[in-house]
Amino acid sequence: MENSIVKSKRVKEVDINKPKLTAKEFKRQWILVAISAVYVIYGIIFYYLPLAGWIIAFQNFVFAKGIGGSKWVGIDKFKFLFSDKTFLMVIRNTFVMGVLNLFFSTIVAIAFAILLNEVRNKYFKKSIQTISYMPHFLSWIIVVAIVHDALTSTGIINDILLRLGILKAPYAFLGDPKLFWGIVTLSHLWKETGWNAIIYLAAITSIDPCLYESASIDGAGRFQKMRYVTLPGLRPTIMILLLMNMGNVLNAGFELQYLLGNGLVQNVSRTIDIYILDWALDARNMDYSLGTAAGIFKTVVSMTFIVVSNYIAKKKGDERLF
Amino acid sequence: MADVVSFDKIKHKKKMATEDIVFTVLNTTFLVLFAVVTLYPVLNTLAYSFNEGNDAVRGGIYLLPRKWSLRSYHEILFERPGIRVGAKVTVARTILGTLTSLAANALLSFILSRKKFLFKSGLSLFWIITMYASGGMIPVLVLFRYLHLTSSFWVYIIPGMVSAFNVMVMRTYMAGIPDSLEEAAQLEGAGYMRVFISIISPLCKPVYATIALFVAVYHWNSWFDAMLYNRFDPQYTTLQYELMKLLDSVSATTGTSSGAQMTQSAAANTITPITVRAAATIATMAPIIALYPFLQRYFVTGLTIGGVKE
Amino acid sequence: MKTKKIVSLILASMLAVSSFAACSTKPTDTQSSGTGEPAQTGDGKEIVDFTMFAAMAGKEKNEGNDIMELIAEKTGVRVKETWLTGQDAGEAIGSIIASGKLPDLIDGGDGSVTLYQNGLLVAWDDYLEKYPNLKEMYTDEEWDKFRMDDGHIYWANVFGNSYDHNTATGHNGEAFWIQVRVLEWANYPKIQTLDEYFKLLEDYAAANPELPDGTPVIPYTCLCEDWKYYCLENAPMFLDGYPNDGCCIVNIDAGMDNPKVVDYNTTDTAKMYFKKLNEEYAKGAIDPDFATQTYDEYIAKLSTGRVLGLCDQYWDFAYNIMGPFASPLEATDGTTFRLDELGCDYVPLGLTAKPGMSQQWHSYDDELNQSSGCAVTTSCKDPDLAFAFLSALLDQDIHDLRFWGIEGVDYLVDDQGLYYRTEEMRENWKSDSYKAKHTCEYSYCPQWMGMSKDGINRMQPSEQPSEFYEGLAEPLKKCFAAYGAQTYSEFLGSEIVVNAPWYPLWSWSNNISSDTPGGIAWKRMGEVKHLWLPTVVMSSDFESDWASYQAAYAECDPQAFLDEAQAEVNKRLETAKSYGWTAPV
Repeated sequence: MENSIVKSKRVKEVDINKPKLTAKEFKRQWILVAISAVYVIYGIIFYYLPLAGWIIAFQNFVFAKGIGGSKWVGIDKFKFLFSDKTFLMVIRNTFVMGVLNLFFSTIVAIAFAILLNEVRNKYFKKSIQTISYMPHFLSWIIVVAIVHDALTSTGIINDILLRLGILKAPYAFLGDPKLFWGIVTLSHLWKETGWNAIIYLAAITSIDPCLYESASIDGAGRFQKMRYVTLPGLRPTIMILLLMNMGNVLNAGFELQYLLGNGLVQNVSRTIDIYILDWALDARNMDYSLGTAAGIFKTVVSMTFIVVSNYIAKKKGDERLF
Repeated sequence: MADVVSFDKIKHKKKMATEDIVFTVLNTTFLVLFAVVTLYPVLNTLAYSFNEGNDAVRGGIYLLPRKWSLRSYHEILFERPGIRVGAKVTVARTILGTLTSLAANALLSFILSRKKFLFKSGLSLFWIITMYASGGMIPVLVLFRYLHLTSSFWVYIIPGMVSAFNVMVMRTYMAGIPDSLEEAAQLEGAGYMRVFISIISPLCKPVYATIALFVAVYHWNSWFDAMLYNRFDPQYTTLQYELMKLLDSVSATTGTSSGAQMTQSAAANTITPITVRAAATIATMAPIIALYPFLQRYFVTGLTIGGVKE
Repeated sequence: MKTKKIVSLILASMLAVSSFAACSTKPTDTQSSGTGEPAQTGDGKEIVDFTMFAAMAGKEKNEGNDIMELIAEKTGVRVKETWLTGQDAGEAIGSIIASGKLPDLIDGGDGSVTLYQNGLLVAWDDYLEKYPNLKEMYTDEEWDKFRMDDGHIYWANVFGNSYDHNTATGHNGEAFWIQVRVLEWANYPKIQTLDEYFKLLEDYAAANPELPDGTPVIPYTCLCEDWKYYCLENAPMFLDGYPNDGCCIVNIDAGMDNPKVVDYNTTDTAKMYFKKLNEEYAKGAIDPDFATQTYDEYIAKLSTGRVLGLCDQYWDFAYNIMGPFASPLEATDGTTFRLDELGCDYVPLGLTAKPGMSQQWHSYDDELNQSSGCAVTTSCKDPDLAFAFLSALLDQDIHDLRFWGIEGVDYLVDDQGLYYRTEEMRENWKSDSYKAKHTCEYSYCPQWMGMSKDGINRMQPSEQPSEFYEGLAEPLKKCFAAYGAQTYSEFLGSEIVVNAPWYPLWSWSNNISSDTPGGIAWKRMGEVKHLWLPTVVMSSDFESDWASYQAAYAECDPQAFLDEAQAEVNKRLETAKSYGWTAPV
């Protein structure tokens, strides 16, 4: 029975007759097309026009001279970036932290949503959910302060490990480059799991209750229902979010790494955004061109990720973005 | 044969029952632990917010304040200039912004979720690109200046009205609604707009509630736009911008090295007490958390919405 | 049905919004200046409202602030100050320029040059002649340092500029600080070297491991966060007896007119200093969290009174711990005590690499930083009024209002004309909320330090000797007495020297941009030191880590930086010579 559900779902999504652009079809959809046109105009004005600013990546842009007067330098800014060992290092850091975060935050949020969905008591369920998303509203400054508090030599983690005899002397967790990525990922999970789960909880409501009923009749237990009804029901949402977030792996962040980092771990903590701030947007440099070049690089990589993963999703008959 | 089957079934049920109990116990324990862990930072912040400022600098406050004081709340709520104007603007933009944004996103999602729509892929890609490609702060500022959106309230509402992320989430949800409903309505002569308003939207309450929450939270927490576009227009300040001015933010601590070395004037040495930071955080969270239960019923009640039937 | 209604309501409101938006696109002329509600000055003129932006962190004043209104009555101008929020100076200045809307007055901080390059500032030159108050701030030679490449002056630094003579009572700069109770315990010994310093800290900690409330003491900590790692990094420069040029040593062994730039990161003293820290770390005398602590944690630590010694600049820690030091705490035996009464206040020690050397931890002269300052923008509707206002702010009566407050309310005057304050008045001026509604320093507008024009008082209360002394806790007074000092600077006992013409070189290195080889090297050196300095301190094999550090450091091409520093020193020397400076014999 499980296969049939999955299959029926898949079939529905893949086997659409692609509409042909004919006069008749166009006339039938004129209202959709007309409204879309309004959205396109809006999008062009607010999102595409500013992209003209990318031009300054090929200049030595100086405010006073404007785009017209600034010197053209071709791809020098990109050359500078890619010849800088530090830049390659921050790409690695950003990418690794982005992927770790994407992977774990997706899995944990889904697991949390499904487990919460299994709770029968309405009040318990509501309370847990409300509590779980609260840390989302705390700023990173506050969260990092608490993380720091827990991990210092006299913090609770060292305290516990010392008492259990696992450590002989307090360990400098925050100064160990090997632990940094893990701490960042855990901090993210702590702050955002409840919030990320909201979308999945909403998506669970769209699952046809009949599926659960028929699964019960077929003798499926709790785990089987989770595995064969809830998860497949979430599949489109998971895929869409995953695809969209694939494009965000290079936006792994700034604030958390910046606040949590220190001299000892700088080789693993600095992200592209921090690099841009250090090297391009430093008040004494104001190298907007370098910053823009890095931004273009990020966009190109993001779009490549998106297009490739969208293609894979399409091949596999999954939900896709376009 | 029949006997054997029923016996199997009973055995199976029994197994299920124990499995159920074990699962419920474990699940409940896990969720409670999770809640405790996530509640801690909030309670910690709450404790700091009610603590006396000088005492709090010493740290070591966990779940309860050491020296009670309402000073911080008094300071952020009654002593800051602009906090009242900011509150009005924030409420206005949250309500107006959420309504307009929800409508705009829902309509676009509806179009993109029509399986027969001619430009589905093209229009999707057009919007997806907007998520990752940005011209940067300066070009946007210049553009807004020419559109006369700077020094204006509308800069909060118009530019961010459509969000590709929200559209994609809604589109996915709408795509999950069986086509048969739409087809049936169309057979009765309903146009697309009619289908959107009377068939699809009522079924989309959970996702509407979710997106409304996202957008409302975004508006409620916004301050950067207030600073960027309305820096010298105090009539358009927002609550969060006023609070941010109080808080020592990241960049202020990265600061200016030359600034610091010449700080011979004590006036420039202003570190915001940790307690004020905490109070501002709590004051910001409270309204959103109060709003949440009203939205929550749309998506936590889960399987009780029975509208979707093939 | 209900949903339908809601949705149509939403759509309707959306339409309404878009039509509103269309209407409101006509430019609303709310230019910054002169649109405030008309109020009147004493002689019947309307009060003009100006806006000011300072690219620094700061606190806004409440509307209707008492002293702001008094100053407005006298000058006809009221200024609304706005500060940096969540951006750094460069970003803020960039976005202000792009938004096309400038305040009337601005201190662009590190973004000042950008403002100048965009032609957004009004030249001071003509107004300097018109307003002698402003002109008086600096000598012609000093004013010339502010000139940009077009030959005009666009801003004036307002800080650390003394009227008559420098009257600093404090030591605002860097030092190895020690709690007075430690000195008292050891019967006020003379501490000259790192060895003596750490020995004393260790001995005291061994004898007094806890505060009365049971908090264990930390003999020594050191901040390494971001650019504040100077606390760890630049001591070798001072230990060798040089002043705070910030980025290198300027050696004058070959005479003042033949200065030579020397790197302090590679000297024997540097190695000695870090080796000492390494040993102390191994002994447990240094805070194990020193390398990873944030500024907030650092301040929290100091506020508990448990840290016996540290190396830092005064302004970076002292103001933030005053409050906690003055509030009562409960001891384990139930009695109450105060940290300042216990002797937890810090005094600066002028340590040197070898005993008996002279040192320059304290700089007695004003330090001029010409890289940024108070400026008037081209958007200002009435620049003349703006300069008139800046000038009026330097009138003694208004200056007193700004920094002393209202006579009878914020300070009292004795029969000799000397200003003094009661304990309550002093407390008021420490309170943020009191400052927001009552005091109005216009802290980024022109101001004086030093002697008041009345010849009796000081321009600012912090420098008033009686005020200063009254404000000290008992153990601190005892400590000063024991060493025969009246002020922090006397206590520190730095050599009294006239500033060299190139001093301070940090006013150059802080603004070096990374588009020259030297600038790039400077940045890379910073990155390497951030990683390696804490590493060598915590190392279990100092010698090999030190060698690795030196190798990594050499890879950054520090020579490129030193060459540019040398060029800057020579340039400054030439400028001074053109004003008739000659090397002292």
